[in-house]
Amino acid sequence: MKFKLKKKKISAARDASMRLKKFDVPEMKVNYARIKAAGFVVFLCFVTLIARLWYLQVLEWQNLRSRSETNRFRQVRLVPPRGKILDRNGRVLAGMRPTFNLCLIRGEAKDLESLFKKLSQLLDIPETSLKIRFIKGKSLPKYMPVVLKRDINWEQLSKVEVRLHKLPGVYIEAAPGRKYPEGKLAAHLIGHLGQITEQDLVKDRYPGAVAGDLVGKYGVEAKYDKILRGVYGSRKIEVDAIGGLNRVVDQKPPKPGADIYLSIDMDIQRAAEEALEGKVGAAVAIDPRTGQLLALVSSPAFEPEAFVRGLEPDEWKALQDPVLRPLFNRAVQGRYAPGSTFKIVTAMAALGEHVIGAHTTFKCTSTFKLGRRVFRCWDWRGHGTTDLYKALVESCDVYFYNVGLKLGIRKLADYSFKCGLGKKTGVDLAHESAGLIPTPEWKVKRFHQKWQGGETLTIAIGQGYTLVTPIQMARLISSVANGGTIYRPQFIDQIVDCSGRVSKSFQKEAQGRLPATSYQLALIKKALLGVVQDKKGTGGRCRIKGLEVAGKTGTAQVIKQAKRRMDEKMAWKYRDHAWFIAYAPAKNPQIAVAVLVEHGGHGGSAAAPIARQIILRWHQIENPRPTLSPARSASLGDGLDHVAKRLERHKGV
Amino acid sequence: MFERNFLENFDWWLLIAVLLVMAIGFINLNSASLAAGYPFQWKQLVWYGAGLAVALGSLRFDYRSLCPYAWHIYGGIVVMLILVLLIGKTVGGSQRWIPLGFFNLQPSEFAKIGMVVVLGSWLASDDKSEYGFFDMLKPMVLTMIPVYLIYKQPDLGTALLIFILSCCLLFMAGIKWVTVLTLLGLGAPMAPVIWNMLKPYQKARVFAFLNPENDPQGSGYHLLQSKIAVGSGGLFGKGYLHGTQAHLNFLPEVHTDFAFSIWAEEWGLMGSIALILLYALIIQRGLHIAYTSRERFGSLLAFGITSMLFLQIVINIFMVLGMLPVVGIPLPLISYGGSSVIVTMIGIGLLLNIRLRRFLFQQ
Repeated sequence: MKFKLKKKKISAARDASMRLKKFDVPEMKVNYARIKAAGFVVFLCFVTLIARLWYLQVLEWQNLRSRSETNRFRQVRLVPPRGKILDRNGRVLAGMRPTFNLCLIRGEAKDLESLFKKLSQLLDIPETSLKIRFIKGKSLPKYMPVVLKRDINWEQLSKVEVRLHKLPGVYIEAAPGRKYPEGKLAAHLIGHLGQITEQDLVKDRYPGAVAGDLVGKYGVEAKYDKILRGVYGSRKIEVDAIGGLNRVVDQKPPKPGADIYLSIDMDIQRAAEEALEGKVGAAVAIDPRTGQLLALVSSPAFEPEAFVRGLEPDEWKALQDPVLRPLFNRAVQGRYAPGSTFKIVTAMAALGEHVIGAHTTFKCTSTFKLGRRVFRCWDWRGHGTTDLYKALVESCDVYFYNVGLKLGIRKLADYSFKCGLGKKTGVDLAHESAGLIPTPEWKVKRFHQKWQGGETLTIAIGQGYTLVTPIQMARLISSVANGGTIYRPQFIDQIVDCSGRVSKSFQKEAQGRLPATSYQLALIKKALLGVVQDKKGTGGRCRIKGLEVAGKTGTAQVIKQAKRRMDEKMAWKYRDHAWFIAYAPAKNPQIAVAVLVEHGGHGGSAAAPIARQIILRWHQIENPRPTLSPARSASLGDGLDHVAKRLERHKGV
Repeated sequence: MFERNFLENFDWWLLIAVLLVMAIGFINLNSASLAAGYPFQWKQLVWYGAGLAVALGSLRFDYRSLCPYAWHIYGGIVVMLILVLLIGKTVGGSQRWIPLGFFNLQPSEFAKIGMVVVLGSWLASDDKSEYGFFDMLKPMVLTMIPVYLIYKQPDLGTALLIFILSCCLLFMAGIKWVTVLTLLGLGAPMAPVIWNMLKPYQKARVFAFLNPENDPQGSGYHLLQSKIAVGSGGLFGKGYLHGTQAHLNFLPEVHTDFAFSIWAEEWGLMGSIALILLYALIIQRGLHIAYTSRERFGSLLAFGITSMLFLQIVINIFMVLGMLPVVGIPLPLISYGGSSVIVTMIGIGLLLNIRLRRFLFQQ
């Protein structure tokens, strides 16, 4: 009590000193009113807050929740390594190599304008092409790299690498790229990759691929794109605000593409390409026992890797050359008159229809009259009395004029179809041509004209309307070689998936039989052996010491005989196409070859040497010289190079 | 001094509410610190302790003894604000802190409570029942000096806050309706002038606020991310320490200005409402203390402190919820910051003080 009183006194004195004022009753009321007003405002504000929270956390919850998820997660596509393409012995024709992409991280770059200028000068790339890629990448998060230039070369790489510290935001990304270690080798079969086009994307030709991907555009790369490409994987990652990786949430690993082993033998393929070097033409080598392709060449070829790196305008122009047409696969797309190689079919038809026997003879005086027209034999001296053997060996036209006349066009066409001409062989390549076997009906339909008897004569010797592809002729000669079975030409030896399992292996597929008995075939084969081995044979330039080669030459006329002059004086484009089809060894055929040289002239002189080189290389592989090839192991080609080197050294000594 | 009535007169509700907010603040900072990568929560705990000591320790002194020192306080504030402009530490483009070694003093925070005391004391001694236009010149000049100095830092948010705070005190002291209308009439044409005085980044913030989706990588980014954080919390939140927006750094300033977003993200609507109700309780106690004070200075002081707390709470949460542009106003006791905690706790201490001495006039 005492304390309280004392205290009151003190505080009263202090109140006075502070001039503090105690409220009277009306003032209290005013004060209360104001505080009530303030309280009302406070209440309104808190209600607004809670209403807003309700709106965001309850009404907008789903929307904002999903936005927080999109913030957090990124879906990254994992690209599997593309499968390899190998030859029958496992040597790589198309593989992978590390490539380097020039990337830019927007968030780290400072002065973009000067950066682009510097890069453009440094790499000799137009500034605009860098900028276009950059603008396209602008929708990506700030810290995700944008690819400015794909697959820069070593020189560019080293230039950038040294100056990286002066180029903030620039960085080099390593990525797997396509490599064709053998360059142009088997280019038409392997094909090439290319940037996926907008149309491809719209039509979903390559499921799973996105803009900017490289996809198979041609050849095996296109036909087996799905198998080679594998299955894309995906990775769901959680990122932080600057796009940095926080953790991997979910991952589906990519499934690498399967490796495709072609039936092609790299050495035979190379021998064929070397033989055709500088010429326009095609060569096909088949194993007659199975129908497997051993080589498939179209010359000139293209560089598959150029498509991966991106074609320069002049490269593109060169590929569009209307005469050379490097992108055109002559082996399956090219259509040529078969020339005298067709006489095999005519002979088969004549024997089959019993128009002739083995000893039936006709006299060749180098001319043959039909009505008022005179048809000539290629040899102005004439062949004299000629039987089937001599007619094939010396390629006597008059003999086959006689036979053709007796057979008639219908029988000829009939046998042609039975031999697999005039329709696609069914080789698994795009744009295969069927060729053409003319019939009277066809002529009426095509030209609205009646069939002339004389035309049958030209058909009988393989000129005129008849068109065949090199692969058709290769199949034909291989069927003759194997005793009459027509096998589908195939180039896939096996497909081995990423786990090493063989998912598809080669199975030979018979498509039919030649319309000939084994006796009849034996007659023809005997003559074909003579073509190469006999002194008077037209295919003598395919002779190989120690190996019996059988074959048939052909010279396909490009312009009519009447207009022809001496070959050497004619313009290149009017010269004859040279054919040679052959197989070896004659007794037990293991390789069949068809060679065509566009405007090469005579088959015997232009095409036969090429076929010889192909068969010779095959022969060397099959029968290596025992004393000189101790190093030969699994890799046959290397062994042979080794042999060649040794031989050269011997010479030097 | 107040032994006998202490337990009765002490505002236990206010203290409990403050302690609970502190508890939430610590829990929340624990999570925010993980996200920010620096253990702010332990430093904050020290500030809580210091703040409580200041608040409870100051109860020994009668709040009215502050009155004679009003001018000293005002002088101190102005000197500190000038000092910060001269030698202040610059962070993120604004000069707001005076480095004192163990901690960085933020004078603009102290200016808030200082201005409440100074204006409260001036208005109490001035003692008019209603204020007209010319009566307001003096308190306005008093206000505008620190406001200008803070604006120069630049810290537009705090400057505006102090200006509005002064208006609140004038409202409480009594202002004529005519004057309010006149001021509004005069103020409207001034708006473009003020707009032109704003710095480009401040204008950008306003634009970003008006249309945050327009530039999600720029100024609107923070607001948008904050809204996403709060909204994605839903009813019950993503769980403590599991706020993806905060922990993956999508949220900016998660330990200071945007501390409420992480709370709302991790605890959901329930947690947010709990915190808001605690704040509401503090404000209600503050207004009640202003009302029960039987004396003009105490009443003005309590109202001013309550206004200070309320304005900061509402502006900060409105900003976090995307209803106001980004301004650097901390959320009392939740945002990390020594100056803010100490200033808030001085305010709480004064409220308790006024409450404790409300009967001293009744005899």
